[in-house]
Amino acid sequence: MEERTRAYLRGRFRDHYRRTEITPPPDANEREWGFIPWTQSPGTTMVRHRSLLELGDIGDFLERKRPRHVYFSAGRYTDPGAGSMAAKEWRCSDLIFDLDADHLPGVTLGEDSYAEMLATCKGALFRLLDFLEDDFAFTDLEIVFSGGRGYHVHVRDEAVLHLEREHRREIVDYVRGIGLEYDDLVAHEPVAGLGRKTPTHRRTLETSGGWGKRTHDHFMAFVDDLLELDDEEALARLQEFDGIGEGKATAVLTAARDNREGLEAGNVTVHTAVSQLAERFSMLAVERDNAPIDEPVTTDTNRLIRLPGSLHGGSALEVCRLERDELDAFDPLVDAVPETFRGHEIAVDVSRDGLVEVGGEALELEAGVQTLPEYVAVFLLARGWAEKEKEQ
Amino acid sequence: MQRLHARYPFLEGARDAVATQAVDLVTVVEQERPVVERARERVVAALEEGDVGEPSRDPRTELLSYPVARVLVSLADQRVLVRTYARAEAATAYERFVADFEDTTELKSVETSGVTLEELLSEFDLERAVRETETGYQVGVGAYLPLAGDLWESEWRLVNRALERGEVPVDEDELLTLVREAVRERVEEGLPFDVPEPIAEALTDDVEEIQEVLAELDLTREIDTVVPDLFPPCMTALLDAIQKGEHLPHHSRFAITAFLASIGMSTDEIVELYRVNSTFGEEMTRYQTDHIRGESSPTEYSPPSCATMVSYGDCVNKDDLCERIPHPMAYYERRLDETDDDELEDWRETVESEEA
Repeated sequence: MEERTRAYLRGRFRDHYRRTEITPPPDANEREWGFIPWTQSPGTTMVRHRSLLELGDIGDFLERKRPRHVYFSAGRYTDPGAGSMAAKEWRCSDLIFDLDADHLPGVTLGEDSYAEMLATCKGALFRLLDFLEDDFAFTDLEIVFSGGRGYHVHVRDEAVLHLEREHRREIVDYVRGIGLEYDDLVAHEPVAGLGRKTPTHRRTLETSGGWGKRTHDHFMAFVDDLLELDDEEALARLQEFDGIGEGKATAVLTAARDNREGLEAGNVTVHTAVSQLAERFSMLAVERDNAPIDEPVTTDTNRLIRLPGSLHGGSALEVCRLERDELDAFDPLVDAVPETFRGHEIAVDVSRDGLVEVGGEALELEAGVQTLPEYVAVFLLARGWAEKEKEQ
Repeated sequence: MQRLHARYPFLEGARDAVATQAVDLVTVVEQERPVVERARERVVAALEEGDVGEPSRDPRTELLSYPVARVLVSLADQRVLVRTYARAEAATAYERFVADFEDTTELKSVETSGVTLEELLSEFDLERAVRETETGYQVGVGAYLPLAGDLWESEWRLVNRALERGEVPVDEDELLTLVREAVRERVEEGLPFDVPEPIAEALTDDVEEIQEVLAELDLTREIDTVVPDLFPPCMTALLDAIQKGEHLPHHSRFAITAFLASIGMSTDEIVELYRVNSTFGEEMTRYQTDHIRGESSPTEYSPPSCATMVSYGDCVNKDDLCERIPHPMAYYERRLDETDDDELEDWRETVESEEA
């Protein structure tokens, strides 16, 4: 990045912070703050271990310092400005979830466009929210567009603030479906069989909650699809599963036809083939429903996370707090474009041809000096795709 | 109250009772041998039996032996002792409170020595997190996770639980196990601590005796030798089953994997050893092994004892040596000791030479 570009972005970031009111996170003075300034060196140097006491009012600080990136800690401490984690004295931490296009299955880096990556990410966000809002019933959630390639969710429910690293890992594993054991989703209950020497066991898939319920939901949806089909199609469909031959397929179909209520109640003792198929669906449920969050972010109780309302120095987009009901309609490449950058045009030197989709329209760029809407231009400048030109 | 506190010395009330008796710990350890002896017995029984032994008939001695036992554990200063001791105190407490809950015949009087579930839940600040339902109990997830954190069986992992609306359903037995874990955590809290010199001096001989017991049990010894021919029969059987591709229940897979990790095998090596069979589930093995080795969790798990192996039905083909040892690790160590070093061929070296 050339000096002229850097100076331009610094100036415009200040303009943005002048006209923006930042709402700090709760207990901002108990948190560690960090930022990355606009520097010449190619490496980035994070300034951290700062307390709000040192920075002053966050709005004034941003206006004065206009950093490239700004962060606060998930953790709250007795002495947040202390130079080492031990000296800070950890008290508790927000529970943070990070969905980043870089880590998502279903995203092909270098092939998918920025807009496509963000759309995939939003799908994952909805799956994550299913877990957080339904399974965990968290009520103090803050959803944030990261300004980069994804979304963050900050959970501040009292019950989880004190959880330590290893307990947070259990939450990660739950959301990702890691370590799921089908056998543990099934309750065994001895049934005294009439005239039998040994009691048999009734095996019931847990249908009240957790991955058992998810497995069961997918399984029943499949069963109901089967019931719509004629015999030949249904049997063929069943035999698409590894290890299910004609005999087992027939057994499952019979169970579905004659004993749908049994299956609905989670009874998988009906036939071994039913249990076998249900086990497949536990794996399918994980494949379909899991939310591929970035594990280290959630387990790290000292993590620094981007400040909502600030600008992301790698995109010049705003880190946006989102209301749950505006999530559906939220288009990051339109709605996260700061007002500051609208309504102007500036001259830039674009380094390569390519498609840019910011501000609601797709622009086919050609390399070279040109005048562009400022919100497109700052996006390119921040991403290192263009340098600032002198205005004519 | 004193009987109650002697029976459950980890309660806040018991701690206060010790404090209000204005006992000076230095005087106790210097002049009250029965207390020190009972304290030492708590620790030795923890190591040898997994509980804290027979209570003293004198409630005062029994009550005071608890803080003294904590001093002894701190002086011996071994991580494995802290964990083993805390587990033993919790095991004993568990036995006692289960008996208390079952004992509904006795009329509760002021001088009762028993506790109720409600009292225990309230002691550990769990009364709001735990809710009784028609079929069992619901535990708030924020309380559940720390309590279940040290329970290694897969059924305790949140991912395998019917979490709904922020609550984890558990049955009564499971709830009691969670309360046991709360006790263990309470006992472990603050251990080991710094012991003032005069107290340490008075207890030198007792600490030495504990350290001897520790050394004998060899819980801390590092083994780094892999000779499958010398494995105990139970582990040989489990390894065979894995290599044949049989599906093992979680506790069995845990037992063999923890055993292999404890004798010095890396995750890669364990995966390699299991690989004879193609369907062994590499990802699961890696995950589980890392977990056991403490790389993906803070706890290093040791393989189950013979008693646990028996109760899971994993104790098979017992031989003479099995009758004399309490733990599969002890079996393997004994066999290693009996064999000449020259004759020990480490499995890992044979694999490497095959590849070369």
